[in-house]
Amino acid sequence: MVPTIFYAASAAAAAALLMLLLPAARKVRTAGTVLGLASLAWILVTIVRAIPVTDSALGNVGMTVLCAFISVAAAVRVITHHRPVYSALYFVLVVISGAALFVLLSAEFVAFSLVIVYAGAILITYLFVLMLAQQSPSETGGADAVEYDRVAREPAAAVTCGFVLLAVLGSVIFASPRSAADASADQVAAVERAWADLGRMPDALLERARRTDPQVRMVVPRSNGAWIETQRDFTAVVSVQRVDSDIASDLVLSPAMLPENTARVGMALVTRFPVSLELAGVILLMAMLGAVVLARRQSELADDERRALAGLDRLAGSEASPARSRG
Amino acid sequence: MNAFLAPVSSAIASVSTALEGMGQAFSAASEAQIALSLAISALLFVIGLVGFMVRRNMIIMFLCTELMFQGAALAMITVARMHMDVSGQVFVIFILTVAAAEAALALGLVVLLHRRRETLSAEVWSDLGEA
Repeated sequence: MVPTIFYAASAAAAAALLMLLLPAARKVRTAGTVLGLASLAWILVTIVRAIPVTDSALGNVGMTVLCAFISVAAAVRVITHHRPVYSALYFVLVVISGAALFVLLSAEFVAFSLVIVYAGAILITYLFVLMLAQQSPSETGGADAVEYDRVAREPAAAVTCGFVLLAVLGSVIFASPRSAADASADQVAAVERAWADLGRMPDALLERARRTDPQVRMVVPRSNGAWIETQRDFTAVVSVQRVDSDIASDLVLSPAMLPENTARVGMALVTRFPVSLELAGVILLMAMLGAVVLARRQSELADDERRALAGLDRLAGSEASPARSRG
Repeated sequence: MNAFLAPVSSAIASVSTALEGMGQAFSAASEAQIALSLAISALLFVIGLVGFMVRRNMIIMFLCTELMFQGAALAMITVARMHMDVSGQVFVIFILTVAAAEAALALGLVVLLHRRRETLSAEVWSDLGEA
């Protein structure tokens, strides 16, 4: 069964986006903004009301809704603003609220690298290129933006395509919810994987064992060769030697001792995906070389032009002979 | 709508009882939050797609592809959270790498194209050939 209410809200959002994209009067744009915010709220409320929220998760859901409003509104501004520089700045807002969503989904490391790489590096590159290539407003006459930034290309067709895609995505996302059995099987497998990751981090394992019991001297492998053994109630058992004896005994680690997200991402990066990591490095190197090749001047310069570019002429003008002999 | 999502709510009930007293990394992600995040990622992707088709400034068109990257990355992180696996997060790191490489190359190309025609409009390039 497909929720028609979701489709209706998507259609309202599409109409709102179309009103914002068309070159229209201020009144129409205000109406589009109101309709857009209302339909976004409609979509989010539909989802939240369909799935009961436990009290402990209420804060996270509220923050998610807030970030949803910020990021979607900023994304709409990115594609509707007439001035490219403001579009880029609104994209920074999308990135930051996206990073907040990542933190809410407990992906802290990726959230921080998102802010550093996107807001810090990629967006600065975009701003540089915009400032290199953009005509200043005075050149184009008046305070208004240039024509190709003001007038949208085929907005009705684009919005129709986009929101048909949204309806299809929505029906796929919400059509087949996973069963309770699947969810708890996922849960058990996930906790087992997390404990196995901790077993591959000797220092973290020893530190956690000491935090549980300060008398621990060292952690030793268990009789079956593994460092750690998961139990049914999501705790884990390790073998330890305490300071007062050489005989190994069992120590139970509580689920609060599970490894942190960042440690597990690093572990997965170097143990499960080492080849991809190397390939990512190759891609970055290739991009760097490509950018250098693209940015090189295409025309051959004459000797005196090259001197002028290097600023040697000015040097030669001020202190005549030494600069010339050095050059 | 309620009947349609009923299995999800029973799943939450069983999982959230199992999660009582777990560490921070494994608690407090409700199924509602996951559904919301997936909806946001779909919306971001669609807005980026519409922007790519609608805008005529080449730089903003590439900015819209970055918007689509954002939507895809958010979907990755959300599904990783849903299955409580870190592979999705590792994949997002690679998405960031490719996005950085793409931005460097695409912007280099945009600067070259701008030098040839002195405009950022994509439409002057609608007939490809020797300029």
